Parts: sequence; structure tokens; C-alpha cells
Amino acid sequence: MSEHQDPKPSPPNSGDGWRVLSYLIGGVLVYGGIGFGLDRLFGTQFLLPVGIVLGAGLTILMLHFRYGSRS
Amino acid sequence: MTAGVPTEFISPGPQSFDTPPIIDGVDWFTKPVLVAVLSVVVIVWFYWGASRKAAIVPSKLQFAGELGYNFVRNSIARDAIGSTEYMKYVPYLCGLFYFILLNNVAATIPLIQFPTFSHIGWAYVAAIMSWVIYNAVGIKKHGLLGYFKHQTMPAGVPGWLMPLMIPIEFISNILVRPISLSLRLFANMFAGHILLLVFVLGGEYMVFESGNIALGGVGIITFLMGIAIAGLELFVQCIQAYIFVVLTAQYIGSAIADDH
Repeated sequence: MSEHQDPKPSPPNSGDGWRVLSYLIGGVLVYGGIGFGLDRLFGTQFLLPVGIVLGAGLTILMLHFRYGSRS
Repeated sequence: MTAGVPTEFISPGPQSFDTPPIIDGVDWFTKPVLVAVLSVVVIVWFYWGASRKAAIVPSKLQFAGELGYNFVRNSIARDAIGSTEYMKYVPYLCGLFYFILLNNVAATIPLIQFPTFSHIGWAYVAAIMSWVIYNAVGIKKHGLLGYFKHQTMPAGVPGWLMPLMIPIEFISNILVRPISLSLRLFANMFAGHILLLVFVLGGEYMVFESGNIALGGVGIITFLMGIAIAGLELFVQCIQAYIFVVLTAQYIGSAIADDH
């Protein structure tokens, strides 16, 4: 095995899928959490689902900006 | 155990992972601790033996050691961290990879057959260690405020969206990463082991203890399926060690990157 030869180079982005997953969880967690808090504050029931969908949507938008233009 | 007398089947569950202390009175010394200590002994013995008489023309052991080391160095560390700064992190990544790999594969090795990381505390500690390291190297490189900015400002997002994106970026980089690292490893090891227990114990029960010929036939098939599952588990065990270390390397790489 010489210094700079790698018999099986894995693509540099091989862990991206797992990082995307953590973004999706993060987005849903943040905006779902805000929705949950506002629901408790105002005594409503619709803000938690709205927050979850908003969080997922914003995360997908962010992933589009972040990874979409790379390839 | 007598055939023909039906006995109750006790299904495996989380209690199957509560192993008694190996030595009476030493409560902390349980099977996962023993497996972890053994794995460290094996790794140290292997790499010590491989590097002790290092020569230009390598012996078989040295060749195997270099192969294992080069795999982590080139395919994981260099690709994820970048070719200028990766060498500093190779010892940690290499040690981590072989520690997790051996402790996972211990679930397949006969007579040991226990995955250390099916006890969630082990997975937590491994993930916290990686978490501390990637945050520490990031803070060292960018300074506390610079690193904070680095981890909360997603690249490539237009300015008007920034306020909405910052909380997502922060939570996913600081909070979700270590949790998902540890839960992924723990859940894979726990679920794989319990699946094996169900197939093997269920097969054993149906063949030997149910006292029913038809169930006995099904039991043999179940047992064979269990062997197939064991093969699948061996694959999962290796993949999980790889994923854990690749992600650790990527987190370190993104913490010290200069993309802002």
C-alpha cells in the first residue's frame, strides 16, 4: 500500500444522506416545538401540525439550497 | 425440555439484555464490560503486533494492520476531513472504528454473542465523545463566536430565509447529531440481537418444547431463518461501525471547514 493510492475510494459525500436525516429531524423538532408551545399558550390545536409541516417544508427548502446545486 | 410436554414460551424482551454480574459482588463487571475490555485487548494486541517489527517488506500481520489502518485513514478520514488536516484525527477515528466494529461483531462470535452497544449507555458515551471532539476542534479553529456562527448559518441560503433557517441548523447540528449517532447504533444492535433471540429461541421452543409435530417443522424453518438473519446481522454490525465513524469524520470536517 503506497501513500497516495487508495484501492477503493468512497465518494466524498457518502454520509450526506444521514446528515440530511438529521436536518429533517431538526426542522420538524424546531417548528413543531414552536407550534406546540403556541398551542399551549393560546389553547388552540392546529398550530402543532402547521409547525411540523412548516418545519419539514423549510428543511427541504434549505436542503435544496445547500445540496441541490452541488452535483 | 422433555418433548411432548407443552411448556410456556417466554418471549425475549429488554430483560434479555440484563446480564448478571460475572463475579458475585462486583456489580459493575457485567458481560458488556467484559466484551469491551476483551475488544480493547484484541485491538491493542493486533496493532502492537503489526507495528512492532515494522519493515519495508511487511510481514503478514503488518500487512493486515496496514490494510486496516489505511482503510480508516484513506477511505474515511481523508475523504471526509480533507487532505490537509485529516492526519490529526486518524488515531481517534481508527480507534473508534475498530472498537465499535469489534464490539458489534462480538454479537456474532460464538460463546460471546453479545453486542456491547445494545446497552444504550455505551452508545451515548461514544456519541458524546465524538460530539465533544468536533465541537472542540471547531471552537479551536474559528473561536467560540465564529464557530457558533459557522454552525448556525447554513451555506447557500438566501438572506431573507436566514432567520427561519438558523434554528433548524442549530438544533440539527448541536442537538440532533449526537442523539441520532447514539440511537442509530444502539437501536440497530438492540433490534438485531432481539430479532435473533426471537428466531432462535422460538425455533428451539417449537422443535423441542411445544410437543406438536407440525410446529416442530415450522420450528426447523424458523431456526434456518435465524441463521440467515445472523448473516444479515453481521453485515449490519459492520455497516453501523462504518456509519458511526464516517459521520464523526464528516462532523469534524464540517466543523473545521472554511465555507463562510
